[in-house]
Amino acid sequence: MPANEAPNLSVRWEVLKASEGAVLLTFRGDLDTSATPTVWQALEKELLGIEVSSLEIDAQHLAYCDSSGLALLYYLYTGRMTPGATVRISGLSPELQNILGSFSLDDFKALQGHHPVPRSLPVEVGAATTSLLRDLREQLEFIGEVTMDLAASVCRPRLMRWKEVFRVFEVAGVNALPIVALITMLVGMVIAFESAQPLEELGAQIMVAKLLGLVMTRELGPVMAAIMLAARSGSAFAAELGTMKVNEELNALQTMGLAPIQFLVVQRVMAGILLTPVLTMYAMYAGLLGGVPVLLFVCKFPLPMVLEEIQGSVQYGDLAEGLCKSLVFGTIVASVSCLRGLQTGVGPRAVGDSTTRSVVSSILLIILADGLIASITYTLRR
Amino acid sequence: MIEPPGSIIVVRNLTIGYGGNIVLDRLNFEVRRGEVFAILGTSGSGKSTLLKHMIGLYQPLSGEVLISGENLAAAEGPARLRILRKFGVMYQSSALFGSLTAVENVRLPLDEFTTLCDEAKDLIALSKLRLVGLESAAMKLPSDLSGGMQKRAAIARAIVLDPCILFLDEPSAGLDPITSAGLDALIRELAKGLGITFVMVTHELPSIYSVADRVIMLDPKARGIVAEGSPSWLREHATQPWVRNFLKREAA
Repeated sequence: MPANEAPNLSVRWEVLKASEGAVLLTFRGDLDTSATPTVWQALEKELLGIEVSSLEIDAQHLAYCDSSGLALLYYLYTGRMTPGATVRISGLSPELQNILGSFSLDDFKALQGHHPVPRSLPVEVGAATTSLLRDLREQLEFIGEVTMDLAASVCRPRLMRWKEVFRVFEVAGVNALPIVALITMLVGMVIAFESAQPLEELGAQIMVAKLLGLVMTRELGPVMAAIMLAARSGSAFAAELGTMKVNEELNALQTMGLAPIQFLVVQRVMAGILLTPVLTMYAMYAGLLGGVPVLLFVCKFPLPMVLEEIQGSVQYGDLAEGLCKSLVFGTIVASVSCLRGLQTGVGPRAVGDSTTRSVVSSILLIILADGLIASITYTLRR
Repeated sequence: MIEPPGSIIVVRNLTIGYGGNIVLDRLNFEVRRGEVFAILGTSGSGKSTLLKHMIGLYQPLSGEVLISGENLAAAEGPARLRILRKFGVMYQSSALFGSLTAVENVRLPLDEFTTLCDEAKDLIALSKLRLVGLESAAMKLPSDLSGGMQKRAAIARAIVLDPCILFLDEPSAGLDPITSAGLDALIRELAKGLGITFVMVTHELPSIYSVADRVIMLDPKARGIVAEGSPSWLREHATQPWVRNFLKREAA
């Protein structure tokens, strides 16, 4: 068989049939990462097409051979391309011979045969149930501990690190004002637009003002503010505490005799409780501000009439309902985010997982609590 | 730029720093082909910063680092990639990808930069793991490996594309003396067996005496190199007493 003359390849090889079943394979040049894949494929085709009982590989004229070239030589040596044949390599420098010794078919077979065993359904269900129960127990313990520490801090304000409370207040509250304003204004505007048309058909377009006032005060103000708090600040709480846990800062606190909940969580929960009603009031006003231009310029109502309608529709009770909800939501977001942060496990994805769990749990609990409070207030109003 | 014969890395008039602060000023030194070269200095002397400039992670304020005659900081695109392929790096924290097993970590550069078939990639990755004595831990995640094993896996990943230079940032940091000595033996084997040039940042004296052919000593006050030579020669003959004290592990 003639020597391979593939252009642009740094290596040439020749497959010579010496006698019945005996084959001599000679390499010349550089067997490197760029050449090996082509040689590998070509040799696989060439050698599998002929019957080989013994293969002699002559590497004497190889000027350079890197790991990929050695992998090819090893693959040939172990008879993977010439099943059943005896294979011999000659002319390999002692250094390369040494490195060739680091290749192992046993390691390769172990890797090929390694398949993670999937767990059976009962085991999966059992593990999920245990994990859920453990999580519930941890949540209960956490709620108890936070409540005790909060009560202690309220009774003895000196226990509270107020500086940290104000820092969190600023970071999670004041710095969130632009995004809260933007989102709730847009939501207010969308509600006004979407309700104006059907109400016009009923001749009750002025009811848009009433609808906007009630929806923003009772529902969307608190819910939007809480969801944004969960997404923007709750995730940050979880990531911050999670990183502290990964860096063993929580262990350091414990060995100093400081409880992580008293030192880190109570401040955040206190800040969450204090700032959410303020943020909610702001969201309510921003939502109304977003809807009012629609009433003025699209529905063509005069400003005094719009204001009078909104004032007339929203009672103090509605405002109180919205603010009560915000207190509950703030407590949920701050405490759940901190809990998820403290529950951070090990591994590179642990902090990311905690952050995701904090946002998902917070939003789920906000909606559940909202539904519960809405049904209670509906019953009370009747 | 003409490269001095036998030198694989040439550092010329390298000034490095950040935010207007100069950490090291006009450094000049060379690393010879095939040697184990150590960068020493007290904490805060800029050893790791220098290493990060040598591997092109940071841009110098002035001067240049030539790797096989090519300036990494000035290279872009394929030229930069070609220079990067000449060296491997083992970071102080090992920097293994936590979501991948040891063998997947080692295979990653092969997956990204070669067109080899899967069998070839597996064979090469496993051979590198066997070279560093980790063949039995191939399927383990980094979190299941000890500190020393993680460093070995990081070395296996760094040498998988057959680089001619290996940069090691504090290879022995946080390891027990036995594991540390094992790592030193591995460095010697790789330097001798594969002809790899090693550049390492360390202040582990036993490691320095065990593996380093030549060292440079950085001084934060002088903002430069205060001594250069073989560690055992410097221990006795360095002109600055603190360099001798450093190498004898004696308080100044």
